[in-house]
Amino acid sequence: MALLEVENISIGYNTRKGYLKAVEGVSFELEEGQSLGLVGESGCGKTTIGMALMGLLPPNGSVRDGRILFEGNDTLKMSMDEIRRIRWRKMAMIFQAAMNALNPVQRVGNQIAEAILVHNPDLEKEAALSQVEELFDLVGIPRERLTDFPHQYSGGMKQRAVIAMALACHPKVIIADEPTTALDVIVQDQILEEVRDLQKEFNIGIIFISHDISIVADMCHDIGVMYAGQLVEFGPWQAVFESPAHPYTKALLSSFPTLTGKKSDLVPIPGETPNLIRPPAGCRFCERCPEAKASCEKTPPEWVDMGSGHKALCSGD
Amino acid sequence: MTEPLEKAGVMDTGNKPILQIRNVSKVYRSKGNLFRGSGKEVVALNRISLDIFKGEIFGLVGESGSGKTTAGRLIVSLEENTAGHIFLGNHEVTRLKGKTLKDFRRKVQMIFQDPYQSLNPQRSVYDTISEPLKIHRIGDASARKDAVKEALTSVGLSPPDDFLFRYPHRLSGGQRQRVAIARAMVLNPEFVIADEPTSMLDASISAQIFNILLAMRKNLDVTQMFITHSLAAARYLCDRIAVIYRGNLMELGPAENVIRHPKHPYTQALIDAVPKFGHSKEAQRYGTLLGKEHEVRKDMGCVFYPRCAVARDDRCSRKMPGLGSIEDGHLVACYLHGSEEIRLKPFSQALAEGR
Repeated sequence: MALLEVENISIGYNTRKGYLKAVEGVSFELEEGQSLGLVGESGCGKTTIGMALMGLLPPNGSVRDGRILFEGNDTLKMSMDEIRRIRWRKMAMIFQAAMNALNPVQRVGNQIAEAILVHNPDLEKEAALSQVEELFDLVGIPRERLTDFPHQYSGGMKQRAVIAMALACHPKVIIADEPTTALDVIVQDQILEEVRDLQKEFNIGIIFISHDISIVADMCHDIGVMYAGQLVEFGPWQAVFESPAHPYTKALLSSFPTLTGKKSDLVPIPGETPNLIRPPAGCRFCERCPEAKASCEKTPPEWVDMGSGHKALCSGD
Repeated sequence: MTEPLEKAGVMDTGNKPILQIRNVSKVYRSKGNLFRGSGKEVVALNRISLDIFKGEIFGLVGESGSGKTTAGRLIVSLEENTAGHIFLGNHEVTRLKGKTLKDFRRKVQMIFQDPYQSLNPQRSVYDTISEPLKIHRIGDASARKDAVKEALTSVGLSPPDDFLFRYPHRLSGGQRQRVAIARAMVLNPEFVIADEPTSMLDASISAQIFNILLAMRKNLDVTQMFITHSLAAARYLCDRIAVIYRGNLMELGPAENVIRHPKHPYTQALIDAVPKFGHSKEAQRYGTLLGKEHEVRKDMGCVFYPRCAVARDDRCSRKMPGLGSIEDGHLVACYLHGSEEIRLKPFSQALAEGR
């Protein structure tokens, strides 16, 4: 049994213009200590999945179909109390824009101690603070910065503090949503290294959400490529990046400038992502797809298995 | 204060530079308050010299706070340099007045980072792009409309009639940035500064913008300065790259040379840090970044010395190295590559003594 199983999940939002199908029929599994990358461009539904896993969808959003099994139990059927016992304690999230995730008028150390106390009401404050000191050692912030306010931290340190907060209750799963997007490359590199070490040390399963395919390739065992609310390709990173099967994955890779290898022309993807209130009947990528056939427009694509866990949602060839 | 030119990031080719930057510095002073006279000084740029030649795309690469945006703002005269000279053609930028200034404003354009903020939400695409033409009194109404349509087509927003009367809220991020580029292009500028034009956009959309910038150079021979934090984007787009760290020019050279054979330990640290599509395990790292910083006395030595893992020369901690040429057009400011000391005092020190 996998630690986390997502089965055929569909999520939508009620908007003024109608029901927006943000995520449709996505399935994946995460084993203990493994990392899974969800990659795709803005609006593809990757953050929505993260929020649904945490039970933190906004009021107008809801899971329409499917199951989320954490250690075999369906979190969608749980009561608020049961979910609270899992959220942060067993499953934590590192949010996009760590800059805004900390309370600006409270000392950073106290904020994290408070998070620990909420989940362990029997603990003394002193004990919680000493746990925070250990967490700071783990993520590489000097202990004397415990009593600083968030504005006294650099961007990288805030990100480290947010990671410390996510680790506070020793979770089994961490959902990291664009954890390094606003940071410079050198700081990003250091933080990703930190995350890799912590993952190994505590055997944490990580779901890594990013628009940056190079980071996901560096961090994850398995990769899921998302487009317009659907998973379109899934597999081990070597397979997905070295022999991509879905035309969108290929297009995404050839629009990304790299430092290594021969310099080649970047090929942008023409057109825009489809409207998810009235999504296309057939393949959602077919309008922009260089390999599309007449049938792609009408018939929804089916999964094609390439073996060893690599599959793509494309009936093209 | 004249430094020999070949030491100053200046390449000697037959081609005449369109932009010359000579020993340019910019110091910001915080205002201080009632009880503390004038406050701290921040040296955003420290004696930068470089040339940009007609028809090239020049990349200025650095991390946040390195001074790369400041450099762009000085060149388009949005701010004034504290010391040094910037020449565009035969005119010194800071001395421009009246008609020559207006002429300069037509010839030099800037594309900003955030297309969600750089477009006025209450103005249609047509209003936005035709405004520069009105300000410079170019053409009559119908000529302007043609110019706007042509600019829209050149940035791939076609048919242009579909976009003319849209407002920014009905445009995607990529489309907005293309409108911003069209606005810059409608005056047929000679020199365009693009300040992180794609950092807010997705990869597939960024590639569109890059290709528009490349086409601008190819079809209209527009010289460009591309300001970015991404070495990979700079490699794709630029002929030459300058790497800047805390306001100092560390390395400058042909793009492929700087990326494939970086010389400065800081450039090497930057390249180390870029994720390489899962190949990081095989890829050799330069390892030039120090885990824990050296303690240093302020304002002395190389700016990268506190974080440099390969500093050996004892001058590193005491005197700032000047840019030195290691091969044709490839310049590095590092003692390990034979740079010589700058004999001038650090800028902030000179300022302090001058008061």
